[in-house]
Parts: sequence; structure tokens; C-alpha cells
Amino acid sequence: MHDRSILLVEDNPDDEALTRRALAKNNIQNEILLARDGAEALDWLFGTGAHAGGAATPELVLLDLKLPKVDGLEVLRRIRANPRTRLLPVVILTSSREEKDVVTGYGLGANSYIRKPVDFGQFVEAVRQLGLYWLVLNEPPPNPDAA
Amino acid sequence: MIGTGLSLERRIQIGFGIAVAIIVAVGAVALRSTEATVSSAQWVAHTLQVRAELEAGFADLIEAETGVRGYVITGDTTYLAPYHSARATLNSRLAGLRALTADNPAQQRRLDSLDTLVATRLERFQWTIETRRTGGPAAAARAVVGGRGKELMQLVHDVITQMEEDEGRLLAQRAVTLQAKARLARLTAWTGALVAFALAGLASVLVGREMAGRRVAEQRLRLLVGSVRDYAIYMVDPAGYVKTWNAGAERIKGYAPPEILGQHFARFFTPEDVAAGRPAAVLHAAATEGRYEEENWRLRKDGSRFWADVVITAVRDDRGALLGFAKVTRDLTERKRAEQALRASEERFRILAVTANDAILSADRHGHITYFNPGAERIFGLRSDEVIGQPLTVLMPERFREAHRAGLARYVATGEARVIGKTVELAGRRNDGTEFPLELSLAAWKHGSEVAFTAIIRDITARKEGEDQRRRYAAQLEAANKELEAFSYSVSHDLRAPLRGIDGFSQALLEDYHDRLDDTGRDFLQRVRAGSQRMATLIDDLLSLSRVTRSELQMAEVNLSALAAATAAELQKSDPTRAVTFAIAPDLVVRADPGLMRIVLQNLLGNAWKFTAKRSPAHVEFGVTANDHGRAYFVRDDGAGFDMAYAAKLFGAFQRLHAAAEFPGTGIGLATVQRIIHRHGGQIWAEGAPERGATFYFTL
Repeated sequence: MHDRSILLVEDNPDDEALTRRALAKNNIQNEILLARDGAEALDWLFGTGAHAGGAATPELVLLDLKLPKVDGLEVLRRIRANPRTRLLPVVILTSSREEKDVVTGYGLGANSYIRKPVDFGQFVEAVRQLGLYWLVLNEPPPNPDAA
Repeated sequence: MIGTGLSLERRIQIGFGIAVAIIVAVGAVALRSTEATVSSAQWVAHTLQVRAELEAGFADLIEAETGVRGYVITGDTTYLAPYHSARATLNSRLAGLRALTADNPAQQRRLDSLDTLVATRLERFQWTIETRRTGGPAAAARAVVGGRGKELMQLVHDVITQMEEDEGRLLAQRAVTLQAKARLARLTAWTGALVAFALAGLASVLVGREMAGRRVAEQRLRLLVGSVRDYAIYMVDPAGYVKTWNAGAERIKGYAPPEILGQHFARFFTPEDVAAGRPAAVLHAAATEGRYEEENWRLRKDGSRFWADVVITAVRDDRGALLGFAKVTRDLTERKRAEQALRASEERFRILAVTANDAILSADRHGHITYFNPGAERIFGLRSDEVIGQPLTVLMPERFREAHRAGLARYVATGEARVIGKTVELAGRRNDGTEFPLELSLAAWKHGSEVAFTAIIRDITARKEGEDQRRRYAAQLEAANKELEAFSYSVSHDLRAPLRGIDGFSQALLEDYHDRLDDTGRDFLQRVRAGSQRMATLIDDLLSLSRVTRSELQMAEVNLSALAAATAAELQKSDPTRAVTFAIAPDLVVRADPGLMRIVLQNLLGNAWKFTAKRSPAHVEFGVTANDHGRAYFVRDDGAGFDMAYAAKLFGAFQRLHAAAEFPGTGIGLATVQRIIHRHGGQIWAEGAPERGATFYFTL
């Protein structure tokens, strides 16, 4: 379900809109699954709560850290703790540049850590490279559901 | 020496006694010999006398016969004189002989015969004389011829010869005896003389040896006394004049023997003692009591005083007559000084204990209080006399008492200490029953063989309150820091999000509504974007500044030269068109936080780079110089510089000396640098002049 989708975990609608715009400007056509908070992100991934219909298996997770309910680092921890999602590429996309967050993020198994630039031009460039790398160049891990 | 327990005098007495006895014995023997000799000699004389008497008697008889014959022939009575004389002498001679030979019975018997023969012969003479007178010469001649006169004379002669022979034999015997006795007397005399001589010699040897021994002993004593250096040992005569002087006396008092012998000992006394008559008084005391001792000040030759222990002993002869005084003096100045030092030290410690603000108390092995200082009285509200002898438990709250008793018993029994030698915090109990926190330092020590304890107790009520206060402050501070951290995190995350929106949507407007905006509208949107981006930079710089304050210093060796070179390379890479010469002193290594030092150099070199933008070629120098505080590192440029009037504003956050349009920047960089330098305990300052460049110095 939702193959080659991108799970965007972002509580700020402005950031969501800007991210969608940046993806669009870079011709990234993948389906965008949106989670407004950490709990919803987990619902998407594990088919619980509002998304009880079935677990999504996105190709990439763009994860903000500062989130309502369950914060980003906790979401990451649960993703890595679950055998079905533990190989899922997760890119932390956040405003924070606190060393603590960076270290903890990588420690929990984040694949990348990108700080959202204020300059939209730079942001578009960052999203371009991100999409190119993770969605085109990177060979994703085998889909656990397909097995 | 002869190995007996007898004294020399006794031995000499005995020796001389034996000698005298021998001499007396020899004398007696000699005397007896002499007496015997004399007696023998008398006997010789006696023999000779007997023989002389015998011959004289016989001669008397012959003369009487001749006289009688002359009368017979002549009738002249004058011829009868020898006869009459013989009659008179013969009886006495015979009586004398009888006496002389009274000890000799054989001679006595012969004398009896001689008496008869002489008497008969004298009768015949009488008869012949009567015949001549009455009968005339013829009758007389007949009578003579007819008489037996010749026979009688022969008989007398025979008897006398026998007696003489007997006396001669006796004489010979006596002479032999005399010679023997004389030999014996000589022998005895010689032997006696030899024995006496030998004894005298022996006695002389003994006495000589004894005297030599005494001399050696005396000399040893003299040397001993003389060489004693720690004691002045000397003698004064009864009047106090110095008679002997040893090495110790010379050392202690400073006088050489020639200087002091014969001087009065009063010169050893201090003037005040002399004035008080002490010299005479001490001699008097010694003479009266036999011995006198005192400790007092005495004078040395150089006039300096020393504390002396003086013992004076009266020296008397056998009859008790005072010969003088033996004086032994010891220099106790050092001891006195040590005692004074000890007393002073004791006084100091006493004052220390008395004036101490803390409670100082001692206890014996039973835990009974033996000392309680005023500090303890004040802290516990108890008087010393109330608690001396009381158990230490009176100073403790009830709940600690059992543990104290057990601990004390354990320590006394096993030496296992849990509290001793440490400082612990406990609770004390005041006399009014209130409790207070205290700090206890307990020490154990040996009082003789007994264990004793000293405790120093501090009332830490105020400190505890202070600590609580500090803990509260620390907790508040920590909370504030946490809040600040959360705030910083918020700022970092949340303040940037709207800025991204402003910038992003401005850009979207420019892109999507480009044709509906005129140039002014597009310019405004560009300004909106520039403002939001600048604010993002400000937020980042502020976060960096706060991080500098919050983070722990991670000290390590930092090569500032390498760091500066790397920073310079980055700057050159950022704008390769600029002509800037970096001169970096090599091998400047310090101990500091590497991350923070990177921020320092990035800011200072970055500023130099920025403010030399209008200069080409520009020069930037990083080096070190010596100043009052030690080594000062500096970054110097030849750029825009600044007015020293504003130097104080340089390091304030958001303070800028140049228009943003002229030189971009947030005004936070130098504030951050200053914080870093201050956190390292260093100083930072700047020198410069407008258009003449600037130099930033810092120490670490």
C-alpha cells in the first residue's frame, strides 16, 4: 500500500506547504503521506488508530523532531525497534541544530540529518538533493510486506 | 694488690706486727745467747779464779814451810811471819774455794781432803815451832827430819793438782759450750736480721705498690674530673677561694685555670646576688647542712648569664675540720629555655583551646569528659564543672547514645575505629534539650598507657542553613538553566519556522505572482526575504553565544597556529578574488577547549577578513607577544580599524561600530569571543584607529 510514497511528518502547515512546493519544484511525484504529529506517523506505519486499514510502507520518511504528542526522536526509536520498519530510510528534517538532537538522532539510526534552511532557495536545493539521493540513487531495502 | 678484703692500713699494721714479733723473737733468742755466753765466760773466769786460789794457797803453804825452816835454823821469830800470814789467809782461801766450787761435788770432796791436809800441815808447823822454842835447834831439826812434812806437802800438791786438772777439764768443756752458744747467737742474730730485712722489704714493696695504686687512682680521678666537660667541678677553700678547676668549669664559665685559681668564687654570682650576700650564705648553708643545692643565674667570664644547677658539698677531714667545698655546676640554660618554650607552647595551646570558637573536649577511655573548653560551654550550654567526669553521652541526643557506647567499647577492645581520625557530621544535644547539627573531629591518643580522646566540635547550624540555602539556589539555578535550555531550543526550532514561512512564501509570491507585481512590489518582497534571513543569522549567533556559556570546557592541547591556518584557508576559499596575506606564527600551542578556540579564531580572523574588504592587498597577522599577564595572542589587520573611544562597546552583544550596509554582521561575534576567553580565565582587549587597522589581543 502506498508504494514509493514519502511519509512527511510535519506539524507546521507552512512547513508542509513549503516542503510540498519544494518537492514539486524538483519534480518529485511520489505520493505524500502526511502525519501532523508523532502518533499519527506511527499509525501510518503500523496501521493503527486513524490508519487502522493497513500499515503504509513508504520509501522515505521525512521526520521533524519537535512534534505534538510523540516527538520525532521517539517515533524514530519505535521505527527502529520494529522489525518491519527497522530498515526504513528516515531523514530527520528539522529546525534544530542542537548537538544533542543530532547525536541522539544518529544514535537512534537516522539515515540523514538535515536542518531546514530559512532561505527557501536553499531549502529547494536541499530537497532536490534529498529526493535525488533517496528516491533515485539509493537502492531501498526489500519491502518486508512483499516477502 | 693482695687479694683480701682488708684495708691497706690494716694490712700494713699486720705486716709490721709480724715484723716486730719476729724482731722481738730474734732479740730474745740473741739475748738468751748472749746471756749464755756471758755465763760461760763467767765460768771460764771462775775456773781461772779457782786455779789461782789453789796455786796461791799452795804458795802460801810453801812460804809458811820456808819460814818455819828459817826459824828452826835461826830461831829468829821474824821468819815466822809467812807462817802466820798463811794461817790467816788459807782458811779464807779454802772457804772461798768452797764457795766457788759449791756446784761441783767432786771438788767439794777434794776440798774436804785439802782442808784436812792443810790443817794437818799447819799442826805440824805449830809443833815444829813449839819444839824449836822449847827444845832448841837440834830438837827442832830432829823434829823436822823425823816429821812427815814432805809427805804432807806431796799430798797437798796432789790434791791441788787433781783440782786444777778438774777445773782445767771444766774450762775446756766450758770453752766449747761458749763457742757453740756464741755461734748460735750469731746465727740467730743474722737470721733475725735477714727475716726482719725481708719483712721490711716486703712491707716496703706492698706499701709502694699500694701507694702507686693510689697514685694511679688519684690520677684517674683527677683526669676524670678534669676532663668532665658537662659539669663544672672545682673546689674552693673554706673562705671561698678557687683551688681546683676542671675542663667543664672552663667550658661553662669561660675561665682558664690560671685566670681563676686563687680567685674568690663570688665572681660567679650575679651582682644582685653578691649584693644580697649570697656567696657567703651558700657556703654557710653548705657548711652547716653538709650539702647545698640551688638553681639560679650565674655569670660567665664574659658577663653573660646562664641558668645553673649548683651543688655545694662541704669537705671535711677525719676530725671534722672544714677543708673546703666541692662545687658541681651544670649549665641548664638550654633546659631552662626548653622549659620556657614548653611553657610558652603550653600557654599558646591553652589559649588556643580557651579562645577557640569550636568546642574542644577530652575524654578518658571510659568516655568520661576530662576537659571542656569555653567554646564547648557556649555551644552546649553547660559549665565545665558540670560536665567534667560525666559521660560524653550527655552531649548527644538519646538515639545516638547506644551507638556511641558500642563504638567506644569496640575501639577500646579492638582498636577498630569508625569515627576516629575522621570528620563526621552528627547531631548534638544542648543542655536545654535542643538538638543542633555538629561537625565532629575525633582523635585518639595515649595518655600514659591509657587511651584518651579529643574531640573538636563545631556547631554547623549556620553552615547547614547556608548549605540548604545554597542547595535551594543551586536547584533554582539548575531549573533556570533548564528553562533557558528549553527556551534556547524553542528559539532555535520555533523562531526559525515562521521565518522559513516568511521567506518561502515571499519566494512563492515572487515566483507564482511575478507578473502581477511591479518592480517595487518585487523589491519589497526581496527585502522581506533579506530581513527574515538576517533574523535567522541573528538567532543562530545568539544560540552560539548561549551555547558558549552553557557548555562544559573540554580542555586539551590546541595548536592555535594550525587552527588559524585552517580558518584562513576557509576564508580565502570563500572569496578567492580577494588578495589577503595571512602571516601566522608557527607552533602556538595552548591548553584550551578546541571547539571554543575554533570559534574565537573564526570570529577574530573572520572580522579581520571582513574589515579589510576595502584594502587590497590586505594583511592579517596572527602571533603572540609578551605582556604583563604573560603571553598575549593577537590578530592584527590593516583594515577599517575603529575609534578607541568606542573600544568599550566592541565586546557587547549586538554592538556594532560599522553600518550593516558597510560591513555585514550581527554584533554578537566579539561578545561570544569575550565569553570564551573569560571562561578560560583570560583577558581580551583591542587596539585600533580608524582606517589604520585593528589588533585584538587575548590571553588564556
